[in-house]
Amino acid sequence: MNRIKIFLLLALLGFAGCKSRTDNHQKKMAIVVSTLNNPWFVFLAQTAAAQAKALGYESKIFDSQNNTAVEAEHFENAIASGYSAILFNPTDANGSVANVLKAKKAGVPVFCMDREVNSPDAATSQILSDSYSGCVDLGKYFVKSTHAKGNYVEILGIVADNNTWARSKGFHSVVDYYPGLKMVAQQSADFDRNKGMEVMESILQAHPDITAVFCGNDAMAMGAYQALSAAGKAKNVTVLGFDGAGDAIQGIKDGKIMATAMQFPKVMAQTAANYADAYFKGKRDFPKKIQVGVEMVTADNINDYIAYGKKD
Amino acid sequence: MGKKVLKYSLIFCILGLIAYNSVYFKKLSEVKASAAKVFNPAAYARAYLDKQLLPAAGKAPDADQLIAQLKNNPVKAFKADAHGLDIGNTRFFMVKGEGVIINVDESNVYLITPGKQTLKIATEYIFGNALRDAPGIITVNDFTNSMDLNNVSAEVNKLVRNEVLPPFKSKVKKGDSITFSGAFELNQEHINLGNIEIIPVKLAIK
Repeated sequence: MNRIKIFLLLALLGFAGCKSRTDNHQKKMAIVVSTLNNPWFVFLAQTAAAQAKALGYESKIFDSQNNTAVEAEHFENAIASGYSAILFNPTDANGSVANVLKAKKAGVPVFCMDREVNSPDAATSQILSDSYSGCVDLGKYFVKSTHAKGNYVEILGIVADNNTWARSKGFHSVVDYYPGLKMVAQQSADFDRNKGMEVMESILQAHPDITAVFCGNDAMAMGAYQALSAAGKAKNVTVLGFDGAGDAIQGIKDGKIMATAMQFPKVMAQTAANYADAYFKGKRDFPKKIQVGVEMVTADNINDYIAYGKKD
Repeated sequence: MGKKVLKYSLIFCILGLIAYNSVYFKKLSEVKASAAKVFNPAAYARAYLDKQLLPAAGKAPDADQLIAQLKNNPVKAFKADAHGLDIGNTRFFMVKGEGVIINVDESNVYLITPGKQTLKIATEYIFGNALRDAPGIITVNDFTNSMDLNNVSAEVNKLVRNEVLPPFKSKVKKGDSITFSGAFELNQEHINLGNIEIIPVKLAIK
């Protein structure tokens, strides 16, 4: 009889153990970001980690180093290590789809932050900046402030990222209506500050007469400004960025940068972590895609903003 | 002999399997249908403008009443009449009204309404998402690719630029009485009613 009681007790303990394993607070979130070599993505990753912690979950940040192969390894590790959700900033809109599908197959939900993957149903939800609209505003401001005249340069981000083209197309959807504005060079600098500087240096040799440069992010804008400054042309060339990074906000205050478009990484990271939490609690009807608004920042409204967001 | 037959049968089966999986036949009608599924933003914009945007413009709130509501109870006005696709502060309103032109410049016309509101209607910078988002009909998840959604705005704006503005801009002058309908954006955190810019979808000189 005693043996039966002991057996029943052990069985009950076993069930209790199972329950604790499925308890929400034993779940953990993997945060896989394209690069940690850019302060914007560091902020995105750290905000996601902070929100996961606030919700009671353990998390770990993985740096894909802008390489889909490294990203694939992170996904494999995250799945094998028992992470229950992946908050994901993809490296490549097409190249990252396979990684998301791998997680989906393993039953791990993926919530994309800021960058899109080109698949309508691979990710559980995609929380994205409305980059195109932000650059429409920048384009309009650019046309008005240049009186629709001058030679300009465009420095693009990573060519495999949808945001690169959303920003470029948003800007051109306005600027291309004005034939007095002539794009004399368009080159990628991979969203990287040092590459932005190198690309600008090289373009300046072929086109010393430019009056403006539109960059796909603030890191490249700051790099381009550095090159213009070294060439003694900073005062004659208008620089536009995108992101709302700290040095660009300061750059607008100092008159180095004409305008940027403020993204809200905090909103995207927190929404992704909140969605993962809701998923753990049983929610399944997530919007496949949700856009986060972008706001133009210029000298006129600079006092409303701080790095990566609005003043409280 | 038996082994040879088995060997050749096996090779035949493998080759057959490879050949079967290497060649696919599809009906030409299916291929054509699949190609036709490529999103056409210009056609979508045309149908949207004619069948959804213009009817929505006809039912839009009157400018004087809407602006009075935005002054007196902005929270209620945003809740009742504003739409937007994004998480954020930018929201869009449909609006219609009438007024007398008080100024015309290279970018806008300015008018005064019967309620003595001064309004600005864009005639040059027809950009952005106001006409796409203000009626609240289109959603992000109607499109598999964000660029398709963006291209809808660009194409609707193009239609306005090519069809609505030329006959109006060629004739409008100070003192004209006009009717209008369109959309405008407002930042719900920083409401600036003094800088409303209406993107028109219908303009007529009385």
